[in-house]
Amino acid sequence: MSSNTSRRDFLSTGLSAGLALPVLGAASVIDPQSAKAAVPAKLDYRILGRTGLKVTTVGMGCMITSDPSVITRAADMGINYFDTARGYSHGNNERMVAAALGARRKDVIISTKSHAPNKEELQQHLEISLRELNTDYIDIWFLHGKGSPDEIADDMIEVQQKAKKEGKVRFTGVSTHGGQQQLLPWMAQKGVFDVVLTGYNFTMGVDMDQSIATAAKAGLGVVAMKVMAGGLRRLKPDDPAYKKLTQQGGMLAALKWVIKKPNIATTIPSITDMDQLDENLKAMSNPLSAGEEKILSAHLDAIRPLYCRMCGQCDGACQKGLPVADVLRFLTYADGYGQFALGRERFLELSAEHKAVRCGDCAACTVKCPHGVQVARRCARAQELFA
Amino acid sequence: MKSAAVLLAVLLAAGMARAQVSLDCHFAPGWEASGPARQYTAENLYDYKDGAADGYLSYGFARMSTIDCKSGADMLTIDVSEMNDADAAYGLFTANRDPRLPIAPIGMGGQIQPQSALFAKGKYYVEIVENADNPNADHSAVMQAFAAGIEQRLQGRETAPEALQWFPKENLDSIRLIPESVLGLKLLKRGYVARYKQGQAFVVMETTPASAAEVFKKLREHFDGAAPAQVADEAFLAKAPYLDGICVFRKGRFLAGYANLPDATQAAALSANLAARIP
Repeated sequence: MSSNTSRRDFLSTGLSAGLALPVLGAASVIDPQSAKAAVPAKLDYRILGRTGLKVTTVGMGCMITSDPSVITRAADMGINYFDTARGYSHGNNERMVAAALGARRKDVIISTKSHAPNKEELQQHLEISLRELNTDYIDIWFLHGKGSPDEIADDMIEVQQKAKKEGKVRFTGVSTHGGQQQLLPWMAQKGVFDVVLTGYNFTMGVDMDQSIATAAKAGLGVVAMKVMAGGLRRLKPDDPAYKKLTQQGGMLAALKWVIKKPNIATTIPSITDMDQLDENLKAMSNPLSAGEEKILSAHLDAIRPLYCRMCGQCDGACQKGLPVADVLRFLTYADGYGQFALGRERFLELSAEHKAVRCGDCAACTVKCPHGVQVARRCARAQELFA
Repeated sequence: MKSAAVLLAVLLAAGMARAQVSLDCHFAPGWEASGPARQYTAENLYDYKDGAADGYLSYGFARMSTIDCKSGADMLTIDVSEMNDADAAYGLFTANRDPRLPIAPIGMGGQIQPQSALFAKGKYYVEIVENADNPNADHSAVMQAFAAGIEQRLQGRETAPEALQWFPKENLDSIRLIPESVLGLKLLKRGYVARYKQGQAFVVMETTPASAAEVFKKLREHFDGAAPAQVADEAFLAKAPYLDGICVFRKGRFLAGYANLPDATQAAALSANLAARIP
C-alpha cells in the first residue's frame, strides 16, 4: 500500500510546513482548508534517567492500535516515545510501528521487548525485532514482563549488554507487571540497566512510590504503563462507576496524575484512535486540576475497601500475628495487577503458622484499617485464593 | 418454581460443560500434559496474558482453556479461546497471523509455522506455541498434528466470514477485522479493512440502517468539506490528512468505502464497485 509514502510526502510538503493541503483533482469542490489537520500540541519533556533521552511525558503504547495513521499522527503531533513488543500480535505490531514511523525513525524513540525464555531465543528476537522494525538500532530493549530478579538470568543480561556494545541497542531495561517492590531496588542496585517500564497508576500505594523513587535515584529512567487501565481494570464497561469515571474525564485525570509524579519520565497509554490521541495530548498542556483530583479521589473511595496503601499502621494488630499488609499486597498482585502466580508464590512463602490462619474463624477482627480496607474480608479472600 | 430453577441450573451447567473445550496433549506421539488444563475468563485473563489480554478482550473474548504439553525437552502450550462469535474468532486470527504468509485450510483459516500454529474454527481461536530451547528448530510437523487434532474436537463454521468475499481480490495485500476505531476513527466501531497495493477499503457493520445513517451523518460532519457523491444509499468524498482521498458510502446498515488514494474521485469509483458487491 502506498498510503504511507503519500502521507509522508504530504507531511513533508504540507502539514509540517503549515501549508494548505494539496489541491484535489476532480474532487476539487472540496474545500481543502476544511479537512482537519494536526495542530501541534503543547509538549512537556523530561529526561529518561541515565539515558539522557529527552522524552515527551505522554508517549504511546502501540499494542492495541489497529491503524498506523494514529501512530503517524502521534509523531506528527510531537509525541516522541513509542512502545511495542516482539510478542504483540505475533510480531505484526512491530511491523505496523515500523510502517507508521519509518520516515521519522531518527526523530523518535522506539522501545520494544522480548519475552524470550532463554539467551538463544533472546538473541534471535533481537535480530527479528531489528528486521521487523526496519531499523539498525533499537532505542530501548526490554526484557518483557519480569516479576522478580529470579526471572532475569545473567546470560540474558549478557545478551543485552552485547547488543548494546554492538550498537544494535542503545539502552536496556526490564518491563514488569508485578513484584516491583523487590525488582526495582534490585535493578537499582544491579546497575546494568538503563530503564524500567512498570505498571503505575493512581490506585497504587506509597510502597510503589518508594520503589520508583529508589529506581529513579539510582539513575534508572522510569516509564509508566497501565496508567489508566490499572485503575479501571476491575470495572466492566457496563459498570456505572466505569461510565462515571470515563464520562467525567477520569481517564485523562488518571494520566495527568502519573505525569505529575517527578520520578516518572514518560507514560505509554494505549491509543486506538485520533480522539484518544487528542485527549491524551491535553495531559501535557493542562496539569491535574483540583476537580480532576476529586474525580480520582471519588474512584479511590469506591475501591478503598479493596486496596491496601501499605501505610503499615496495621503492623502487629492481628491477634493471630498475621502480617496483614503482606497478605493484602499478595492479593493485590492477583486482583489489582493480574499477577495471580506471583501473589500465590508470595503467600506460600509465609510461615506455616500464618498460612494456616483463616480469618473466618475469628469472631471479630482486631485490625482496623485507617483507610477503610475491609481487612478480614480481603485476607479471607487471599486465603481462599492462595491457600 | 423451585423445580424449574433446578432444571434451569442443570441446563445452564450442561451448556457450560458443552462450552468448555476438553484439552489434552495426545495429538502427536510422545507428547503428554505437563500439568492440568487451566481455564480463564475475561475476569482473570490478565493473570495469564498480562497486558496482551487487552487484545483478546477487544475482539470479544468469552473464555480460554490452556494446557502445557511436553515431549522430552520440548514444551508447547495450547490456548483455545472461545470468542463471542465466529467473526470475533476469525478477527483475532487475522490480527495475529503473518499477512506475508498464505492462509492454510484449517477450520476457517490457519497458519502453521516451525514453532507455532494459529487457526480459527467457529467461535474458537487456537494458538499452539512451542517453547523450544533451539529457536531455529523446525517443529512444523508437530504443529500440524496438534492443529489437526484440536480442530477435529471443535465444532463450528469452517468458512471465512462472508464479508471477506465483498472485497475485490486484485492487488489485495491483507484483510483484518478491526475491533474498534476503523481507520483510526472512533465513529467507525468495528469492521473489516482490506489493504491494497494502493489504498485501503473498509466495511463497517452497524446494527440497523438507522444507526448506520446516524454514524454516516456524524462522519460527514467530521470531514468538514465533504462533498456528496452518488454511491449506494448516500455517500461523500473528502480529502484529509492521514486518509488522503477518501470516499465513504452507506448501503443499508453497512458503512464502507476507500481511503488513502491519491484523489477522492478514484476512491469513489472503487467504492461504487465495492457497493455492488455488498448485499
